[in-house]
Amino acid sequence: MNTVFQLLQNMLFAAVPAVGFGLVFNVPRDALIYCAAGGAIGRGLRFLLVTSGMPIELATFLAASVVSFLGVYIAQRMRAHPKVFTVAAMIPMIPGVPFFTALIAVGEIQRHGLTPDLFATAITSGLRATFIVAALAVGLALPGLLFYRRKPVV
Amino acid sequence: MLMQHGAESALVESVTRRLGLALGVRSVEVAIMANALTVTTLSENHCITTVRRNEDRGINMHMVTEVQRAALAVEAGELDCAGFRERIEAITPQRYPRWLVALMIGLSCACFARLAGADWLSCLLTFGAGTLAMMARQWFAARHFNPLVTFFAAAFVATSYAGQGVIYKIGSTPKIAMASCVLLLVPGFPMINSVSDMVKGYINTGLSRGMMAVLLGAATSAGIILAMTVWNVWGWL
Repeated sequence: MNTVFQLLQNMLFAAVPAVGFGLVFNVPRDALIYCAAGGAIGRGLRFLLVTSGMPIELATFLAASVVSFLGVYIAQRMRAHPKVFTVAAMIPMIPGVPFFTALIAVGEIQRHGLTPDLFATAITSGLRATFIVAALAVGLALPGLLFYRRKPVV
Repeated sequence: MLMQHGAESALVESVTRRLGLALGVRSVEVAIMANALTVTTLSENHCITTVRRNEDRGINMHMVTEVQRAALAVEAGELDCAGFRERIEAITPQRYPRWLVALMIGLSCACFARLAGADWLSCLLTFGAGTLAMMARQWFAARHFNPLVTFFAAAFVATSYAGQGVIYKIGSTPKIAMASCVLLLVPGFPMINSVSDMVKGYINTGLSRGMMAVLLGAATSAGIILAMTVWNVWGWL
């Protein structure tokens, strides 16, 4: 019961940023609903996979590829490139906090000298951010890599 | 045109090539660089090469969609060359109202805070900080400041606002609020485009977009560090 509640909460709170950033990217109005759905599905799926014990990079990769396949299906009906709304749907899964933590840790190393703690923070957060972003992007590109090798999606 | 509004390289190349073939030239070759586009068309044994500069006009998916739909219409034989030109020139970038974007971004940041486990009071704080930072970002962007300056200033505004929560002990998790309110400045689109460009073999544009994303992040963290120094609150590490 608790897991279901958390899952719903995760999906709801992921749909709002997906739409918010959809507005920043000027996604066409009729595609905004797909941003919300994609954000909720992606984040919810990742939450389920992580709670069942999967490492976060792999879970992110799977969630991104599921959203991407759904995106291809919708894109063919809408006659628009799937990236138009799938990238906004990925935003709730972007590792923003590790990304900034790494850069701030680098700044702190410059100010206070190198300590093992700061160095470890910079490297681990930086690597985590890099790996999750790579997982997102490769997951998004998966339909193109597997099925649309010689032909365009739309 | 597509490049200016943040489409990925593979899309730019395939749309240009298909458009050329549909308009009846024999072949189209495209070379994409970070801020210019070279197109050579071969028709009736003549080579025509043009180089177009592209400036960064901000991400606008509406433009990408409209340009692509126009190109698809040409391919289906509904439009000819003149018709295509007319249709492209008739597209005006659609923008959402600025207050709506700012409010939604504030709400998004509050959601991020909630996802990270903040209590409701901290979410409210994050909402205020995110909205204010987005308004600052729009203000600077509308005056054509360099994006690096814009991100720096917005990060400073957001952290200063959320930092008050730490100083006056608003809510039980003000540090999460400080971390979440700058998430609107994460350059997510360039990051994803950068990796997917490189996966598809466009190392050049991928690297330049990735570098831009890291630079924007560095400018943002410089803003955060400055704000933390000014108010003497250390929320991140």
